[in-house]
Amino acid sequence: MGFTTILDILGSIIIGGLLMIIAWRLSEAATERTFNNSGELSMQQNLSTIANIIETDFRKIGYCDNYNKIPDPTKAITFADTSSLKFLTDVNSDGNVDSIFYYLGPTTELLSTPNPRDRILYRVVNNEAPMGSNLGVTRFYMVYYDALSDTIPPPITTPGIISSIEINLTVEKVAAFVDSVTAYDTIPGAFWRQVRLVARNLRNR
Amino acid sequence: MSGKATIFVIAGFSLLFLVIAKNFGDVSNRAVDNFIDYHKETVSHSIAVSGANLAANEIFLDPTWDDGFSNRPFQGGDLDVSVQILDPYQNIRQVTAQGTFNGHTSTVRVKLAPSKFSKFAYYSVSEGGTIWWTGSDTVWGPFHTQDYMRVYRHPVYYGKATTKKKLIYYTSKSKDKPYFFGGYEQGVDLPLPTDAVDLMEPIADDDGLKFHGQDTIYLTFDRDTLKYRYSFSSPDTSIYLPSAAPNGLIFAKDCILRMKGTVKGQYTIGCSSSGDPNKGTVYLDDDIVFEKDPRIYPASSDLLGICAENSVYMTDNLPNHSDINIHGSIYCEKGGFGAQNYSSRPISGNINLLGGIIQHTRRAVGTFGSGGIKSGFAKRYRYDERLRIASPPFFPGTGGFEIVSWYE
Repeated sequence: MGFTTILDILGSIIIGGLLMIIAWRLSEAATERTFNNSGELSMQQNLSTIANIIETDFRKIGYCDNYNKIPDPTKAITFADTSSLKFLTDVNSDGNVDSIFYYLGPTTELLSTPNPRDRILYRVVNNEAPMGSNLGVTRFYMVYYDALSDTIPPPITTPGIISSIEINLTVEKVAAFVDSVTAYDTIPGAFWRQVRLVARNLRNR
Repeated sequence: MSGKATIFVIAGFSLLFLVIAKNFGDVSNRAVDNFIDYHKETVSHSIAVSGANLAANEIFLDPTWDDGFSNRPFQGGDLDVSVQILDPYQNIRQVTAQGTFNGHTSTVRVKLAPSKFSKFAYYSVSEGGTIWWTGSDTVWGPFHTQDYMRVYRHPVYYGKATTKKKLIYYTSKSKDKPYFFGGYEQGVDLPLPTDAVDLMEPIADDDGLKFHGQDTIYLTFDRDTLKYRYSFSSPDTSIYLPSAAPNGLIFAKDCILRMKGTVKGQYTIGCSSSGDPNKGTVYLDDDIVFEKDPRIYPASSDLLGICAENSVYMTDNLPNHSDINIHGSIYCEKGGFGAQNYSSRPISGNINLLGGIIQHTRRAVGTFGSGGIKSGFAKRYRYDERLRIASPPFFPGTGGFEIVSWYE
C-alpha cells in the first residue's frame, strides 16, 4: 500500500471512466440510430400504404359495379386541383355510386408535431366527416394530362378533359432525433411518384 | 482477477453490440421487405391487368371466346383468366384475371357488353373529302371515323373519340388541337357492316311489321298509331303499333320510305334495297320526334332508330324549309345523312337533331359563305345520353364487345 496503490486506483478510475463514457455514448448513438431507423421504416411503410390506397382508389375512378349508374365516365371526375381530387366511384363494389375526395390539410393543423411541414391527407367518402391520421405527408401534388398526353395547366376548369394523372407524394418523419447537429429541416423524407396513372373507366365507351 | 473482469467487460459489450446489431438488422430487413412487398404487389397487379388485356383482345377478335387462360406463365408469375356470361339475354360477359407473383395475387374484373352503333353521336367511314372539324363544332357523345380526323381551331368532343387513321391539324397542333373530354384513341378499326339492314328482314318477319312490294311507302307516326299509304294522294291506313310490331321492328323492303310524326315507344325502321341506288333511302318529310322529349322528361323511354341501306335525306319541301326536328339514331349503311338539294334549296333553318348519326359517307346539309348560310340547314345536333346504355330494338351492332366496367 503506497504510491503504486494510488496509481492503481487512479488508473482504474480513468479506465473505468473511459469505459463509462464509451458505454454512455454507445447508448446515445444506439438510441439515435434506433430512432432514426425505426422512424425511416415507419415513414417508408406509411408511404407504401398511402401509395397503395391512392392507387387502388384512383384506378377505380369512374368505376361502378352497376355500370349503368355511371353511363358517362367522362363526368366521373368532379373536381381537380394540384393537391385535391374529387371523383365518382364505387367504394365497396355494391353497385352504388360513391364519391371520394382527396385533399391535403394545412400545416397549421399539426403544429403539435416537431416537423413543421407535415399535413393530414384527407380521404373523404361521400358526405362523411373529414378524418385523417398523421402519416407524415408533406407533399401531395398532381399533374394532369389530356388524351394527347399534354399537360393540363391549372386551374382545371373542365375535369372531363383529364385522361391520366401524375401523382407525387412525399412523406417525412413527424419527429426527428434532434441533437446539436441535427435540425428539423434535415428530417429525411421518402418520395413516391406514379408517373402516369390511367383510370381505365375514364376511357370506356 | 483482472483477466476475469476483462472477459466480463468484453462479453458484456459483445452482447450489447449483438443486440443492437440484430435490432438494426431487423429494421433494415423490414424496410427492404416493405419495398419488396410493394414490388410484388405491383408486379402481380401488372400481370392481372395484362391478363385482362389479353382476354379482352381475344374477345374482340372472336366474340365467342370464353376459353380463358390457366396458370399461364407471365413475367415471372402466373396468370389465370376466366370468362363468365353474367346475363345470357343481354350477353353481358365478365373477364376475371388473376395475376400471381411470389405469393401475391391481384384481381382485375372487366365487364363487357355487346356494342351497338347507336351509341355513337357521330360515326363515319368516309368524311366525304376534305371536310374539317372546326372550332364551332361540338360532338356531344362518342365519335368514330374510319377516315382521317381533320381539325381546325380546337373542335370539341365530349364523348370518347376514336379514329382509324390519324389526326390532321390544319396548321399546327398548338393552334388546332381538339379538346377531347372523353379520351382519344387512334388506330381503332371499326368497320360498318354491309348487310345489317338486310338482316333485319327475318326479325321483322318473326314478330315485327314488314312492308314489301311497293315503290314508296309513306309512314306517319301518331303515338301508338302508325298511318301508312303507298302513294302521295291515297288515304292513310291506321294500325295499332304495339300489336302490329310487338318486337319494335318495322321493315320496308326494297323501297323508298317517307316518314314523319310523333313516336311513342321504342322502334327501329329498316329500309332495304335490292340493288337500286334510289331505294333503301329514307326521306324525312317533316319532324319526327318522341312523344316525350328526354330533355324535358328524363324518364322517357321513347327511342327510334332509322336505318337505311342507302341514305337518309331531309326532304326539300315546305315543312322542312323552316327547321326540322329529328329525334332518333340515324344509320346509313352505304350512303349518308344529308339534305335533299342541299345547294339549291332555300335557307331552311336548323336541323335540331337529338340522337346520333352513323353513316358511311358524310354528306352536306347546306352551303355557306362569308355571310353565313347560303342554302340548306345549320346544324344543331345534340346527343341523346340514353343511347350510351340503351339502343333502339335490333339496331345494328358492331359485332363485338365494348368494355363497360373495369375493376382493379
